[in-house]
Amino acid sequence: MDDATPKERRTFLTVILGGVGAVVAAVAGWPLFRYLSPIDKGSAEDLVRVARQEVAVGGAHFFSYQGRPAVLLQPSAGEFLALSAVCTHLGCIVKWVDDKQEFLCPCHGGRFSPAGQVLGGPPPTALESYPVSLDGEDILVG
Amino acid sequence: MNPYKETVDWLDRRIGIRALLHQQLTGYLLPRNINIWYTMGAVLMAMFGLQFLTGILLLVYYVPDTEKAFASVTMIMNEVPYGWLIRYLHVVGSNLIIVFLLLHMLSVLYMGSYKRPRELTWVSGFILFNLGLVFCLTGYLLPWSQLSFWATTVATDAAGAIPIVGDFLIEFLRGGPSVGEATLGRFFALHVMGLPMAFLALVGFHLFCVRRIGISAPPFGEEYQPKLTYGFGHEEHPNGVPFHPHYTVKDLAVVFFALALLVAITFYAPWLFIPLDALTPADPFTTPEHIKPEWYFLWAYQTLKIFPSEFLGLAAQGAAMGFLAMLPFIDRGPERRPVKRPIFISLYLLGILLFVGLSMWGHYS
Repeated sequence: MDDATPKERRTFLTVILGGVGAVVAAVAGWPLFRYLSPIDKGSAEDLVRVARQEVAVGGAHFFSYQGRPAVLLQPSAGEFLALSAVCTHLGCIVKWVDDKQEFLCPCHGGRFSPAGQVLGGPPPTALESYPVSLDGEDILVG
Repeated sequence: MNPYKETVDWLDRRIGIRALLHQQLTGYLLPRNINIWYTMGAVLMAMFGLQFLTGILLLVYYVPDTEKAFASVTMIMNEVPYGWLIRYLHVVGSNLIIVFLLLHMLSVLYMGSYKRPRELTWVSGFILFNLGLVFCLTGYLLPWSQLSFWATTVATDAAGAIPIVGDFLIEFLRGGPSVGEATLGRFFALHVMGLPMAFLALVGFHLFCVRRIGISAPPFGEEYQPKLTYGFGHEEHPNGVPFHPHYTVKDLAVVFFALALLVAITFYAPWLFIPLDALTPADPFTTPEHIKPEWYFLWAYQTLKIFPSEFLGLAAQGAAMGFLAMLPFIDRGPERRPVKRPIFISLYLLGILLFVGLSMWGHYS
């Protein structure tokens, strides 16, 4: 068998190194993606507990639900509603206007009813609502 | 239409890329007998590049606060997907960098490549070596473990042996009378901003010197002749091999071997560099037993112990490091062949034995 020339050996080594490099880059890509992806906190944060006294009748209580702003309302005594506080237009946080009993988005004037329905302005859809249940003196959202 | 050729043509018309690549890569000739020890620079650049990358990734989750630092590192290890991999690569990588820095320096010493006209290359490289050690020292504190806390306490305390300014120096280094929030703040700032910027600037200067002066031919073989240089002159190797592809492929192969070693230790023996005290949060009121510095500081630790006073120990260390830094200005003969420099090679071997001996003594004492 003929000995390989230096150029052939170099080409062989280059191909091997290129191949190994490509495999290493591909294999390293997955841990990097997972490392930078949001951490899954499991189901612990799926259920949020809020004391009933925090939510006044006709008032609103803002809290964090699954890492996003949300709001709890008590339109009438004992009736609770939980909504996302993120405006469906461009993602600003809506504020509760007590005397009008409606939500107003300060960014572009979107208006929502206490049930989250669009009353006016640019929002394309209603605010997302979350399930609510009662547990003694607490309200469970989620 | 060839997209590669089109791109190169486009760049060539604007910045003359072909002439530049020829000048710096394919037309840049290295000595024919260049050996594997010349790849240490490329290995170190790859390893430091990985340290920068993993360091930036660790910053995503690390919190530089004495109340939260340990918990954030624990979270990186236990909760963040592949966080253990990123942290272990950073920890193991820092230790391997010291190994490769030592090998780089030892090969330069053995081949006499530090000699005129390469004094500035050596001095900048020696400062880079010391910056590497300071990188390790400052990074060591960041996890805020028992090991971090007490190793930093002992290391900063050594400065107290310096007469007159010793006590001031300790407080200045710590940002207070003892290691605490202020120490973490300044070590963190140094580790992630100050040192990297100084390091990059110095690496740039070091590489500039290497390129400007030219690669030194290994002092082996019949064609080698000691040269006395006076004025500036780039060392040419007219019958040499092109830097690219001939040497870049070898560089890359050794870089891959180094990365393979890094990954092997990361997967199979990361505990080599993470002792038990690193797994307990820092407690300023409880000193762990037998606290020891990292392996690359053991020689200094043992030196401080064997001298009758800490000041003498520090002075001996300073003298040794100063001698190494100034070596090109002390050892000024043109001869670079190891066989023709018996006194230097004897000192060289004795120096290695002393380093290894003191380190082992420090480890087992």
